[in-house]
Amino acid sequence: MSQENKNSELHDDKLMDHEYDGIKELDNPPPRWIMAIFYITIGWSILYAAYFFWLKVGDDQDAEYVRKSQKHEQKFQMVNMSSDDLVLLTDAEAIDEGKAIYGEMNCFACHGMNGEGNAIGPNLTDEYSISGCDFKSVFNIIKNGNPAKGMTAFKGQLSDERIQKVSSYVITLKGTNPANAKAAQGEKCEE
Amino acid sequence: MENQKFFYDNKIVKLFLLATIIWGVVGVIVGLLVALQLAFPFFNFGLEFTTFGRMRPLHTNAIIFAFVGNAIFGGVYYSLQKLLKARMFNDTLSKIHFWGWQLIIVLAAVTFVLGISTSKEYAELEWPIDILITIVWVVFGWNMIGTIVKRRVQHIYAAIWWYLATFLGVAILHVVNSFALPISLTKSYSIYAGAQDAVVQWWYGHNAVAFFLTTPFLGLMYYYLPKAANRPIYSYKLSIIHFWSLIFLYMWAGPHHLLYQALPDWAQALGVTFSIMLIAPSWGGMINGLLTLRGAWDKVRDSAVLKFFVVAVTAYGMSTFEGPMMSLKSVNQITHFTDWTIAHTHIAGMGWNGGLVFGMLYWIIPRLFKTKLFSEKLANAHFWIATLSILIYAIPLYWAAVTQWLMLREYTPEGFLAYPNFLETLTQILPMYTIRIIGGTMFLIGFLLMVYNLFKTMAAGSVEANEAAEAPALVSQGSRNPVTETIHRWMERRAVRFSIWVFVALAIGGAVEIIPMIFIKSNVPTIDSVKPYTPLELEGRDIYVSEGCYTCHSQVIRPFRWETDRYGEYSKIGEFVYDHPYQWGSRRTGPDLARAGLIGGPMYKNAAWHYNHFMDPQKMNEQSIMPNYAWFAKKEINLDLIPNKIRAMQTLGVPYEEGFDEFAVDDLMKQAQTIVDDLKNSNIEIEPTKQMVAMIAYMHKLGKDIGPPPVEIVETLEIAEPEELELLSGEEDLAAGKAIFATTCVVCHGADGKGIATFPDLTDEEWLTGSSPSEVYLSISNGNITKGMIPYKDQYSEKQITQLTSYILLTLNKNEDSK
Repeated sequence: MSQENKNSELHDDKLMDHEYDGIKELDNPPPRWIMAIFYITIGWSILYAAYFFWLKVGDDQDAEYVRKSQKHEQKFQMVNMSSDDLVLLTDAEAIDEGKAIYGEMNCFACHGMNGEGNAIGPNLTDEYSISGCDFKSVFNIIKNGNPAKGMTAFKGQLSDERIQKVSSYVITLKGTNPANAKAAQGEKCEE
Repeated sequence: MENQKFFYDNKIVKLFLLATIIWGVVGVIVGLLVALQLAFPFFNFGLEFTTFGRMRPLHTNAIIFAFVGNAIFGGVYYSLQKLLKARMFNDTLSKIHFWGWQLIIVLAAVTFVLGISTSKEYAELEWPIDILITIVWVVFGWNMIGTIVKRRVQHIYAAIWWYLATFLGVAILHVVNSFALPISLTKSYSIYAGAQDAVVQWWYGHNAVAFFLTTPFLGLMYYYLPKAANRPIYSYKLSIIHFWSLIFLYMWAGPHHLLYQALPDWAQALGVTFSIMLIAPSWGGMINGLLTLRGAWDKVRDSAVLKFFVVAVTAYGMSTFEGPMMSLKSVNQITHFTDWTIAHTHIAGMGWNGGLVFGMLYWIIPRLFKTKLFSEKLANAHFWIATLSILIYAIPLYWAAVTQWLMLREYTPEGFLAYPNFLETLTQILPMYTIRIIGGTMFLIGFLLMVYNLFKTMAAGSVEANEAAEAPALVSQGSRNPVTETIHRWMERRAVRFSIWVFVALAIGGAVEIIPMIFIKSNVPTIDSVKPYTPLELEGRDIYVSEGCYTCHSQVIRPFRWETDRYGEYSKIGEFVYDHPYQWGSRRTGPDLARAGLIGGPMYKNAAWHYNHFMDPQKMNEQSIMPNYAWFAKKEINLDLIPNKIRAMQTLGVPYEEGFDEFAVDDLMKQAQTIVDDLKNSNIEIEPTKQMVAMIAYMHKLGKDIGPPPVEIVETLEIAEPEELELLSGEEDLAAGKAIFATTCVVCHGADGKGIATFPDLTDEEWLTGSSPSEVYLSISNGNITKGMIPYKDQYSEKQITQLTSYILLTLNKNEDSK
């Protein structure tokens, strides 16, 4: 580069015979490397078009999604737990984990910090329930939600195992009588 | 030859440069405000007038059209007169141009603050202002071409080629993109819909960058850089090659803003390839600038002007390499919708445009005021502060972009999104937003140093409004001498013909992309289940558009697993056919809303949630940075305009039935009442005519129509007597049945068919409605709503239900037996 600079210093004989408001121009050719980049990018573009549209080797957008999605499903073998294993957990460790999930998933945004309920979601601590009181009902409403009533389905965010834990935690809330509890909604639970 | 005497108009240059300085300060301050809003939602001030959605367009428009625009005009008016040895064509046109442009800026500021916006990025202004822009732009072109025609110089210099391309390019872009059907003085609908609107909009948007922020600045560079360095232009040939290749190629590259979105693959490929081919033509400008400085680098050390030019040209080179890289689809999935784009635009905006304007101002103002710059030291201080501020601004944003992208696509070992809540990824990068504020503040401080320096300089001198000059009259050289004159050299003295060729080069790219999108039906495959907006939903959409919600929320889901798991099925072209304008957005500061209305989808929220969230987003999510929109509950919708809107939509081809406009208000009130009743269940009282109700209706419409995955009806199967149903035991049929089961039935009956919670086991001997093939078929087809079984006959074909029945009875149930 410095060599080239020195050379072109001498090349003021390349000054062209015109000027605009004192601005002169040199008759240098464009640097070769910039022209090379230009031709390479044109060639690359032709190959790109050929790859996707003439030879049809490359996937289109939809096919690419299907391919990557299949790979994703193979990588994470997404299985549901069998219903036999889905039972209420009562050990302290599972309940603690359930409590952590309750916080992590922002359940409190609708059901309150202590399950007392608020403007959006129902009270989880009383003797009433909209969608059933037993373990299976609680599990089901958390997993599949009730979108029309505002309950999110958590099946896309929580595994069955984690839903089992948070369901077990929610069931422990019953009868805790927290402050600011929301009025009862739904039907009374049968004991 | 006898010299003619004439006067340069310096006053108009002074006016434009003053406007540049004033609007520049305003634009940067508003920029700082939006940066503060993103880190601390408090700075939305709880007022509708100062929400991010309204302030962000104010910032971009103030910088692009007010600051940069006035700088272009000032720089052009000064250099054009000198290069052509002629006074501007007509003083009245100059004045109309100046005051007209300032009027547009003021109107823009007022309308944005009032919430009047078309929400087409960088073209947010409503139609009366668009018309005003067209008129003022024609005045500018007329004045410029008039000056070129009455010039006293044989050839037009390279800078002027770029000015011509600017005038023609912006004229084409602005007119084509702004076509809209007015409803009232402050509301119009883009005549383009959905994917078509997206193509037109980004053909415009990308080329607004090209023909407002690039070509005029290359023109300015070709004048001010050699003047300030007192060196000849390095290569005349390079000037020619990079001029024509750049203006031709740029027009094609727009679709790179829409990669992996609801756009035909061929259009995306054009966006990718033409962006890559733009590298060399763009760099042509950079190296011609830098090589022109050969032999003048010692001057660069002392001169703030040249230092600004060097940074400008370097930033230009960086941005025009980064841009094509961002246009590669694999890179684009990181950079699009994240802060990478914001960093990219600010390197170009603060470095290239800012640097060139600052250098130019420091160079012209002392010459115009016939004095010396008040303080070269302050100018150098400005240079260092500004350069450093660009880094402090951009680096945190690059960091934020990569962080957020990595978080968004992170999966847990179980195969769930690690951060299913979008907000977590945003909260993570908020510290970067805080650092960005430091960068912006430094840039403003540097700017203010310049303002002080320049006003001191102006106070020390005075402008000679009409500067005397003389030059011989132009005598045409006549026809081309094929031996001594190249074709290009000949064209340079035929300015009108030159302009026509520029126009041709510009028109091709847009025509090839836009015309097929509008006239070839297969490019926009329709989806039957997609229905037009009801009057209430349309009203909600209009509010969404006028508030600029697109500045944070996108409405297009890309075909990546980590987007479909988070937001729902990826977006299809046919979903957007009634969207005037389209609202895909370009940056996700909030989550995508394309499927916010799909009941059972991951983004669905009920009416009470939306109500509470609009009233106080921080109550719902403490970390949220969304401004509150509590006035939605107070402000009324304008019922008088509804019939007009329906008729306008009919004109644009939306298939409302004939005469629907007369019932539209009734329809609106009826739908509004259902939402009001719904809210009442959550103890929320609201009148049906409030904006809040319309917004909730719109949120619940989004993405709803596509429903479950589109069904391919292969053939219909005649079932005369249900008893006669024959199970399909072919491998393909069972696989098809399994696929339906896995996407639909699994929700209640479990992947193994054993049933979840209270839903029945399909693998045992017990059947609630009978176990014969036809009984199972009818159970699926007609459902049993009281027990929770959904009727599927409207969602699946008869053949598909038969396949499903076969899968259940032959595969699921048989498995159990064999155990």
